[in-house]
Amino acid sequence: MRTLDPQSLTQHVDRLYRAAWALCGSREDAEDLVQETFARVLARPRVLSGEHELYYLMRVLRNTFLTSRRTASRRPVTVATLDDIVAADPRPLGQPERALEMQEVYATIAALPEDRRLALVAVDVLGLSYREAARALRVREATITTRLFRARKEVARLLVAELAPEPPQIPVARREETRASGVLPSRETS
Amino acid sequence: MTELPPHTESELIELVRSSEERAPDSLHRQVATLVASRRRRRLALHPPVLGAVAAAVVVVVALAVVLSDGGSSGPSLLQAAAPTLRAATLPAPPESSANHAQLATAVDGVPFPYWEDRFGWRSTGTRSDRIDGRTATTVFYSDASGRRIGYAILAGTPAPRIDGGVVAWRGGVPYRLLTANGAAVVTWLRDGRLCVVSGRGVSSATLLKLASWSDHDASAS
Repeated sequence: MRTLDPQSLTQHVDRLYRAAWALCGSREDAEDLVQETFARVLARPRVLSGEHELYYLMRVLRNTFLTSRRTASRRPVTVATLDDIVAADPRPLGQPERALEMQEVYATIAALPEDRRLALVAVDVLGLSYREAARALRVREATITTRLFRARKEVARLLVAELAPEPPQIPVARREETRASGVLPSRETS
Repeated sequence: MTELPPHTESELIELVRSSEERAPDSLHRQVATLVASRRRRRLALHPPVLGAVAAAVVVVVALAVVLSDGGSSGPSLLQAAAPTLRAATLPAPPESSANHAQLATAVDGVPFPYWEDRFGWRSTGTRSDRIDGRTATTVFYSDASGRRIGYAILAGTPAPRIDGGVVAWRGGVPYRLLTANGAAVVTWLRDGRLCVVSGRGVSSATLLKLASWSDHDASAS
């Protein structure tokens, strides 16, 4: 048993942010979620029983995420105005194509069913072991294995589907020529 | 790994695990503020805590002095990774004539890998440093596009403990993925020796692929 040292939490901000981004699918929501998570953790002294901080943070992140989802579903829907929309991240990015790629990956993870998403976030994004993930998400280890397997498969499938090249488009004029030449059936005969 | 989007589950996992997206500075500041206010509150609520902390510090320092054997806990990640980003001072080692997966140089019997034929990373130089009383030998590799990787092996056991980052398992070996001095770093153990690969502009996934291949093929053979 040991008391959680608030100062040591600061080293996990980046990783927790990535986890939150994959859960929410948006940077802005992720920022709010991480802030809320830290606010909850730091609200009073915490005692850890053997587990490491990241595991504990994942547990609180999950609870905060689920609570915020429930609260949001009860809140009346408001329409965003143009002023509310953030066009782009103003920070300079060293590798724009990679940042874009990660954005796509996180958005795809965020589209998964909640249970699979949480499993993938706990293990692949946060780096928890299956056992820690199972404890943090309050499910059996075997359940984590199954959910993780399905989640990875689903995300890989969705990403490949998104990236698959579209069938070539034949311009209208060219299509008429093709029909005239008899390769495609003409409108009259079809 | 390539910089292309992932097409398989394993590529996806690698990409997600090696992601180094940083939280916005504003979030770092907010968390730092929350932590600071928590500490202030704790001290304000429990004034005797200050005295207790001071006493504890005295005890810990005294114990450290009494129990210290003069050695240190080993170099930090920054120290261990630093040579991999410096310039080579010695010529490149040739390919080993006995094993084509290795170079003809080793640290405590742990050989450096030969990556040229398989991955196109050619050894270009070497350097030797003393870090916290240990010898660190670094071999540098370059690829066709001019990117550079430093591969350091720290002599002596037990290897210093490196914490933090993300752990990725390859062939039963844990590889730790971190960032130091603005460059991706992968650390792991080979025969109990700390190995560090790092390179600016080279993704963690690429480093991990190279590190895990060399560990499997160069030391197992």
